[in-house]
Amino acid sequence: MKKFLKTLPSKLWILLFAAVIFTFFSNDFGLVDIQKTAIILAAGIDRTEQGFSVTAQIAVPDSSDRTKGGTSSVNIEAEGATVSDCISRIYSKTGWVPKLVFCNLIVMGEEAVKEDVVSYLNYFLRNEYMPDSCLLAVCAGTAHELLVSESAIDDSSSIAVTKLFSEEAKKSGKVLVTSLKDFAIGYYGVSESGYLPFVRMTEQVHAGEKKDETRPEEERRMIYSAEETAIFSHGRMVALLPREQTLAFSMLQGNVFAGTFNARDGDEPVTLSVLTNDGGVKLSFSRGPRVEFSLDLRVRLCCRGLAASMDDIAGDEVKGEILASAEEILSGYVRDLYETATESGCDLFHLRRDLYRSSLSRYAEWKEALPAAAVPSYRVRVHSTK
Amino acid sequence: MNEKISSRQLYFFLACVAPVGKLVFLPTELAKYAKNDLLLPLLVQFALQAAAVFCVLLAARREQSFYDLVADMGGAFTAKVLSVLLALFLAFATLLPILEQKTFVQSVFYDTLPSILSFAPYFLFAAYVLTHPLPALGRIWDVLAPIFLVGMAGILILSFGACDFGALLPVGAAGAKGFGRGVMLASSWFFDAAVLLSLLGKFRYRRGMAWKGTLAYVAGGAIVLLFFAVFYAVFAETAMNQLFAFAKTSKYFAGITVLGRIDYLFIFALAIVMAYASVLPAQAGVSLLSDAFSHPKYLSLILGISLAVLYFILSLLLDYRFGQAVNLINGPLFWLFPLFSVLLPAATALVGRKA
Repeated sequence: MKKFLKTLPSKLWILLFAAVIFTFFSNDFGLVDIQKTAIILAAGIDRTEQGFSVTAQIAVPDSSDRTKGGTSSVNIEAEGATVSDCISRIYSKTGWVPKLVFCNLIVMGEEAVKEDVVSYLNYFLRNEYMPDSCLLAVCAGTAHELLVSESAIDDSSSIAVTKLFSEEAKKSGKVLVTSLKDFAIGYYGVSESGYLPFVRMTEQVHAGEKKDETRPEEERRMIYSAEETAIFSHGRMVALLPREQTLAFSMLQGNVFAGTFNARDGDEPVTLSVLTNDGGVKLSFSRGPRVEFSLDLRVRLCCRGLAASMDDIAGDEVKGEILASAEEILSGYVRDLYETATESGCDLFHLRRDLYRSSLSRYAEWKEALPAAAVPSYRVRVHSTK
Repeated sequence: MNEKISSRQLYFFLACVAPVGKLVFLPTELAKYAKNDLLLPLLVQFALQAAAVFCVLLAARREQSFYDLVADMGGAFTAKVLSVLLALFLAFATLLPILEQKTFVQSVFYDTLPSILSFAPYFLFAAYVLTHPLPALGRIWDVLAPIFLVGMAGILILSFGACDFGALLPVGAAGAKGFGRGVMLASSWFFDAAVLLSLLGKFRYRRGMAWKGTLAYVAGGAIVLLFFAVFYAVFAETAMNQLFAFAKTSKYFAGITVLGRIDYLFIFALAIVMAYASVLPAQAGVSLLSDAFSHPKYLSLILGISLAVLYFILSLLLDYRFGQAVNLINGPLFWLFPLFSVLLPAATALVGRKA
């Protein structure tokens, strides 16, 4: 015991020394100063004559108002020949070290997607400190305008836009979400195709209030929607799917739960809610390629456009007439979706990929002709809850 | 020096410690050449190594060290030369795991590029391990095996949700060239049988150990194959861009958005196992030299510290030449691996039978 006590101070010194060394080498002494760090929440990319313009939405600490929640942000724009060049200029303009580790959204302006988007997305794909689970979106106008806009519902436009891409929104069938990783897999795969949500912003106008174009920019509050979907082939946007086709594509992917769509009961509109959604696209060969689109939905009546009796509201079963109308409407959506995709040259349903995986010899024979050469058939079934 | 590795500890090494070094860069490198066929070259390498492990364990029946076994057949001089060559090979083979470990730690555990010195304590740890005799490792393997199993199970479970196993199809798409290049490239990560040679005489041979040990190695190989399949199923065509494979596949788990990066618990677990596994070949080399020169006083200490310093200097020199170093090891020098890890174990088994 005496010996132990005698050596105790030296042991404690060794422990202390080890702790200090450990802290030093784990870089705790050299942590990047938060005051000198730009935590980028979202990046907006536009094409310019010079090359690119990047708008970085940077989170800033806001200690002045403790009653206010959320995240304050500033937008810094820089132009350059490449995205990396732009990011470096943001650094030199502000003295803040740009960190992409929390970047959850990359928005591309309308003009920026007319040429191969991987020419600038590759910067993010190469960056080890950038999460490839980050979401991608295209927007109407420029990405700069979108990011600098004042959101009516959130402190930062990027956070408001990201909320459009929640799991719940995805289940509603109103929006299709793609991450950087998934888009890259589609681009580098044999289908060379993909899709991204298309964001539009509109000014929030209160009931009875008229839209005032003369109102100063900083007083305008915007709301965002992403019900349309931009589809891509070889990295270029080739068509825009309207909201109906976005819904049809979501249903074909089996994404929809509790989402709604409109059908007709005679001449009256009714809204149906989807309770189960099985969807699929199957490629087969019988005297040439054939593609079968199948949708199997179980629905219930959600709302009528007119006053209804209590019996009607309490009743669970949806009338056959409504179901037939729903089948017809959805078949039309799917048909339009397939036509839009094939006419634009986008292999949206990954028919080339499916063929490649199933038969290399058939793939060699048909890869150029697909998806246009495939003969489509549609099987849409809508059932009532009872 | 009387301490022996138990049979259980040896099986733990073969099933849980040997596989871990194959989970960092190898998946990415194989995806680059063999693409969706990355499992095929891996399968070939595991089959070759499993056969080599079987050979070494057969030779272990004589309960002699590698040096004594060769000396009985070819004389002391031959045994010394072979021991030195094998030790040099093992010291060389250690370079790749150490460089992998360094880039892994600097990239995955830091969110900006840290200073070169931040990895320096690893070399203190390496010096500590290198100066200890090999049988002391047995107790460490007892601890590392469950850590590996928990880490691997966690990463695999969290990754399954993001998998599209269809990405592994069609089989044979990379062709003979991709397959051949994949087999050649993967050689640099397969030297387990060579490490096992250094363990000869340091464990007691038990009945059935040859096939049980091989089975343990095959079980570890099956885990690695499953991980590679998951890796390609998660990243498909972008797999060749995903460095540090085992730190990447689990981050798409849906719960992470709510819970945060809980997968780091499992990544840390594997990183701990990797820290020991990466320095093991060099330690095996030191042990071989110690056996060959009759355990002179301070030899292990001097060699261990010298090697740790050497690796530290090399890691500084190769800081921005990692790609070139890997290309050199995988390219012109790849033949060293099958020579020492497949042919030498097979020859040792033959010597063991005749002696």
